[in-house]
Amino acid sequence: MRLIKYLVLSAALAALPALPVLASLGGDLSSVQADRAHMKGALRVSAAATSASTGAAFTVHEISTAYGMTVREYARSDGKVFAVTWAGPANPDLRQVLGSYYEQFVQAAEAAPPNHRHLVIRQSGLVVENHGRLRAMGGRAWAPALLPANFATDQIK
Amino acid sequence: MRKFLLALSFVAPLVLGACGGGGGGSIGPPPPPPPVQVIATPGPPNVESFTLGPGPAELVQPAVNTAYLSIQVCVPGTTQCQTIDNIEVDSGSSGLRLLSSTLTQITLPGAFQQPGGLQLAECLPFADGSSFGPLAKADLKLPVSGKEALNITVQVIGDPTYAVPSDCTGKMENTVAAFGANGVLGVGPFLQDCGLGCEQNVIPGTYYTCPTPTTCADASVVTAQQLWNPVNVFASDNNGSIVEVPSVASAGASNVSGSLVFGIGTQTNNSLGSATVLAIDDNTGFFSADFNGTIGLNAALDSGSNAYFVDDSSIMTCPTNANFYCPPSTVNLSATLHGAGGGNTVTASFSIVNADDAFNANQSATAVPGLGGPLNALPGMSVLIQFDLGMPYFFGRNVYTAIENQTASGVLGPYVAY
Repeated sequence: MRLIKYLVLSAALAALPALPVLASLGGDLSSVQADRAHMKGALRVSAAATSASTGAAFTVHEISTAYGMTVREYARSDGKVFAVTWAGPANPDLRQVLGSYYEQFVQAAEAAPPNHRHLVIRQSGLVVENHGRLRAMGGRAWAPALLPANFATDQIK
Repeated sequence: MRKFLLALSFVAPLVLGACGGGGGGSIGPPPPPPPVQVIATPGPPNVESFTLGPGPAELVQPAVNTAYLSIQVCVPGTTQCQTIDNIEVDSGSSGLRLLSSTLTQITLPGAFQQPGGLQLAECLPFADGSSFGPLAKADLKLPVSGKEALNITVQVIGDPTYAVPSDCTGKMENTVAAFGANGVLGVGPFLQDCGLGCEQNVIPGTYYTCPTPTTCADASVVTAQQLWNPVNVFASDNNGSIVEVPSVASAGASNVSGSLVFGIGTQTNNSLGSATVLAIDDNTGFFSADFNGTIGLNAALDSGSNAYFVDDSSIMTCPTNANFYCPPSTVNLSATLHGAGGGNTVTASFSIVNADDAFNANQSATAVPGLGGPLNALPGMSVLIQFDLGMPYFFGRNVYTAIENQTASGVLGPYVAY
């Protein structure tokens, strides 16, 4: 059921006109290079990390730019990006970073009480946190259904 | 992991049904009352009046812990003016921004990049979305104090002739209802809203130049042409400001009035007095806090934040709103604040209440003490806010914000003080 949900979201994204198919969250590792190019950034892959406590394997792909934006994409051993974090002087391109989860994020933000400085969205299908103001914005997002088994989300940083 | 709070005489484990791990010290003594506060009387030459009120009628829910004032905006150099109310007072940002829909009586001229002459526009990032609009020139006149900031660059949010660029993302906050105010008066510690970062780089999703209203493109903008802190443009009393909010009873209150005082150490009503200065790092915009077992958190005092946003995993979040804390009973907390670069040290005591209980007990309150929520600060991203003392900390305190590179009461800004 989770796979079908993901495919439906992907199809919805592909149907949008004039958007390049960029996907970070929910995408696969082939999208990381596209994201790097879109951001005009440099890509650094961390040593493949293994969660010390649970043995869940994942890699972190960090894109950093000259203008101070950093985006980290957390990928499972099968290449699926299950979490992203970001920090920089402004918001990243959230359409790109959240991929097929972007519309869900926008709808959740619209339903939440307005808060310019701090946002926490916790839904069964999507968690998004974003904090800050111009000059220092940062946050993270993950898809609970895509997490590796026994993965502790405090590793998404 | 056992966590210990600093500056408390004992540590006690919290017994909460839903919480393992046990936090230390949340059952502590209540915070001491702040020192005697003198709130300046609104009027010339330098005191504006604001109200913690519900905000504009268009808001879906009344605002909470948000200070609003009225301004007068004019076409530069003319008497074509309009009064606009419900402008948010924000000590965490710099620059004046107005919702386009409020400008019903006047039309402001555009702000153009020089050289080149292209119309400027901006996407302002928020945690929950973005606000987009072209830049314009205006005279800002504050009706109660008489202060004027002439021919300043302002952002006109939601101008309908402008297409939102694709890299200005998130929930769009281009209407009064989505934005939460008719505009914002940013009186923060920085001279410009973005600074050298936006001059030396093209930062996507910030500033734009627009050959036409539907073809805005990412651009760098020199600081002189960015949104400027309006206080710094005043002819006098221009080195900072003071947000003065009276104490608010724990049950909450409606329509609490306070004073926005311009200048620090320039008049008899704005000296630092016994306030403690906390230097702000000129690059990051933060001072430092030690809290809940972590030292050196990036900290801010920000009237544009409506609660205490701090991380303490022993405090439950609210069952239907992960943005706020709902402890079973009020928790008394304490942090040690440090000025940047080894400056002063001061203990900050504050309490966080059950947000749901507080709202239910007083549904019309627009000033609610003790509101708090989690930050979940990312330990891997060290440039971000990690400890945010918002409007509740202003209750009963005069909070000074000195602007960078300005000397205020003999101390060089940027700094905050209280």
